[in-house]
Amino acid sequence: MPEYTGWLLDLYDDLEEGLVCWLISEAGERLRLRQDFPVTFYASGSVERLRALWRYLRPQPVHLRREERSELFCRQPITTLAVQVPSPQAQARLFAQVSAAFPELTFYDVDLPSALRHAAAFGSFPLCRCRLEVDAQNRVQAFQVLDSPWELDPALPPLRILSLEPDCDPAHAQPTHLRIRCGKAEYNLRLAAARPLLINLGAILQRHDPDILLTTWGDTWLLPRLLELAEAHGLPLPLNRDAERLPASRPELTYFSYGQVIYRGAQVHLFGRWHIDAHNAMLYHDYGMEGILEMCRVTAQPAQAAARLSPGSGISAMQMITALRQGVLVPWQKQQAEQPKTALELFHADQGGLVYQPITGLHSHVAEIDFISMYPSVMVHFNISPETVGVGATLAEPYETVPELDLQVDYSRKGLVPQTLAPLLEKRIALKARLAEMPAWDARRSAYKARASAHKWLLVTCFGYLGYKNARFGRIEAHEAVTAYGREALLRAKETAEELGFEVLHMYVDGLWVRRSGATQPADFQPLLEEIAARTGLPIALEGVYRWVAFLPSRRDPRLPVANRYFGAFQDGSLKLRGIEARRRDTPLFVAQAQQEIISILAQAPRSGALGEYLPLVFQSLRRRLVALRRGRVPLEHLLVKHKLSRELENYRCPSAGARAAMQLQAAGKTMRPGQNVRFLYMRGRPGVHAWDLPHPPEPRGIDLARYTTLLVRAAACVLQPFGLDEGQVRERLLVGGCTLSLPFAAQVIDITNNHKLENNCAC
Amino acid sequence: MGRTLPAVTQVFLQEQESFSRFRRALRRSDQQALDELFANAHRHLAAAAYAAHALPFEVFLLAMLLEEHKEVRRLRSLLEQLNLPPHA
Repeated sequence: MPEYTGWLLDLYDDLEEGLVCWLISEAGERLRLRQDFPVTFYASGSVERLRALWRYLRPQPVHLRREERSELFCRQPITTLAVQVPSPQAQARLFAQVSAAFPELTFYDVDLPSALRHAAAFGSFPLCRCRLEVDAQNRVQAFQVLDSPWELDPALPPLRILSLEPDCDPAHAQPTHLRIRCGKAEYNLRLAAARPLLINLGAILQRHDPDILLTTWGDTWLLPRLLELAEAHGLPLPLNRDAERLPASRPELTYFSYGQVIYRGAQVHLFGRWHIDAHNAMLYHDYGMEGILEMCRVTAQPAQAAARLSPGSGISAMQMITALRQGVLVPWQKQQAEQPKTALELFHADQGGLVYQPITGLHSHVAEIDFISMYPSVMVHFNISPETVGVGATLAEPYETVPELDLQVDYSRKGLVPQTLAPLLEKRIALKARLAEMPAWDARRSAYKARASAHKWLLVTCFGYLGYKNARFGRIEAHEAVTAYGREALLRAKETAEELGFEVLHMYVDGLWVRRSGATQPADFQPLLEEIAARTGLPIALEGVYRWVAFLPSRRDPRLPVANRYFGAFQDGSLKLRGIEARRRDTPLFVAQAQQEIISILAQAPRSGALGEYLPLVFQSLRRRLVALRRGRVPLEHLLVKHKLSRELENYRCPSAGARAAMQLQAAGKTMRPGQNVRFLYMRGRPGVHAWDLPHPPEPRGIDLARYTTLLVRAAACVLQPFGLDEGQVRERLLVGGCTLSLPFAAQVIDITNNHKLENNCAC
Repeated sequence: MGRTLPAVTQVFLQEQESFSRFRRALRRSDQQALDELFANAHRHLAAAAYAAHALPFEVFLLAMLLEEHKEVRRLRSLLEQLNLPPHA
């Protein structure tokens, strides 16, 4: 029997029965193989109804067994009817009938994607190294995985990546050319000539036979358009490697999550080849291709799904695989409801992390120490999982009581969530340790960082999923237990710091900012870290020692400190900014860069006392930027403001600048959906904006320079305020000696001294 | 959190809002003093949340008192530095 060793590229349900596996062999062949894959689902309920189900299913081509299986929330195994079906396709068809005929039964393991079942059965994941035995009909007879998702430096196959990119943003203007790159080969195809375009693209795809199509706007514009063209001209377009399948399209979607309206564009999924659209991939800007590969390694989700789905679905997938491997039933619909609480219990339980108000102002030699992945660490260390948290009487010994709450945690068995998270946490800590040892020039650093970032997103969302009412392995009591342990750990850390003579300047959920006179080097804080780790049981690390850090007060009221608005320079020269303009995505690049530069200049000061000497340099830099703005030397792209639409345009009673820009686009025939971003420039006169994606370019002389000047002054004042300079003083110092009124648009220069208001030019 | 029960900041703002008629009737200088009292209480929101007290305004009052007492201590130590007896 032939045997192949290689990497699993793709795995999906065949059109008929079983699975299709694409293998990249060691010899570099791309093989399409098939695998029979019987799946089992379970039903539980009254004996009579199970017997009726037995009779109902007996004529079907299925294997029926009575089985005792573990259900997550029952101490004792439950009796189920196990139904083994020859293929995932048959299971879906059969279950549709069964669930309609037997609505009173409880079903398990019915809606699991084949990739997850395969991962649970064989330990597979995208790009895993594997050895397959194959029969004469190319059917996989044995599937052996040779590596694990937890390997730090996996051996990956040389993937062939073909990138497709229109020459401009299709939302902004009509692209004319399609740029194609694969290795050293480059092509430029004209979009207007459909036939040559399709024929050439088809030939390029055949010649390079890529594993990954990496596109920009491929989901939302390019691939749907190419497919339409191919259909209209009756020409084949081999986007798929699997010739038996057509690309699969999914529609666009707007939804509401965590207080935000989110827009997800339409999607095009390929078979035997991955399509990844850099503009439609979740968090692509954050971790890129490396992060996507890592995401699918650890979650075992197919790469095209992992690239587009939220990290939350990745965590769910990991939990389902853990459950499948341990023979724990995965419920079809969640059944656990919240347990009743008294009002006072609710007051104590319904809390998040502790968020302090910092001591505002400028501070020197401050150490920032953070618990490493605090909430996941709490889950692993204190065994918190939906099935382990409960009221003492219902639990087996031994159990522990959660601080502040009348809840107990069962320690007699390891919880499903801690089991799922433990290897991920270990991998993250190992990666971070490697990163810390690597010299700055090491080429592997960016890949390691991207992977650490993917882990971070998974670990961050796993906590939210514990409290999410629709998550299959979520339970609000477990969520509450995590935050209670988190608060306890932070308070213990505070007490420890104070006992050791440190002053606590600020605390934020899982981090503390402390200082002590004489403590200036990382080693001075080491005993504190060790003592906190010993008292809380949780890993904690020094983020760094700041040369200086400034905690800013509220913009509305300078007497009020706010938790997450600060900036500072670490001893190694790196900067940390939070909550200020440079970090906000609605800030024009021109303003963000100016603010960033101010902080970089200030970062040269060795300690806070010396900062005053650097102020002249700051004003020099600001004046230079202001002059560039006045002389029209700032590229218009740097003045773009980005707003996210929060509702349908007709629902704006008093349209914001972003809404007015979106209305311009709508008038020009483009549709704008809630959750979508709109980019625009501030202009003089009405309506005060020019949407960037309008077909006609903006008139550069109409740019509202006064408004951009105000934005610049405001951003500068924000970071200069710890030096006692307010917005008025910054404006005054900037305009004295810096600008003459002989520059173009001088009329506006006068305007800015009159305390130009930034309120929207509201029409109503 | 923030859905079933309002977050502590929301509770604080509601309490402050409930005194808006009282504030309006005060003289300008007294209004400023009142605002300072609330700003003082605002510094201790994290502790107030952690206290999970059934009557949060009591905690806010205590937080105001706490800041007032800190101020008294600061002034007292200033006096001591100036070598003046506190009751002089």
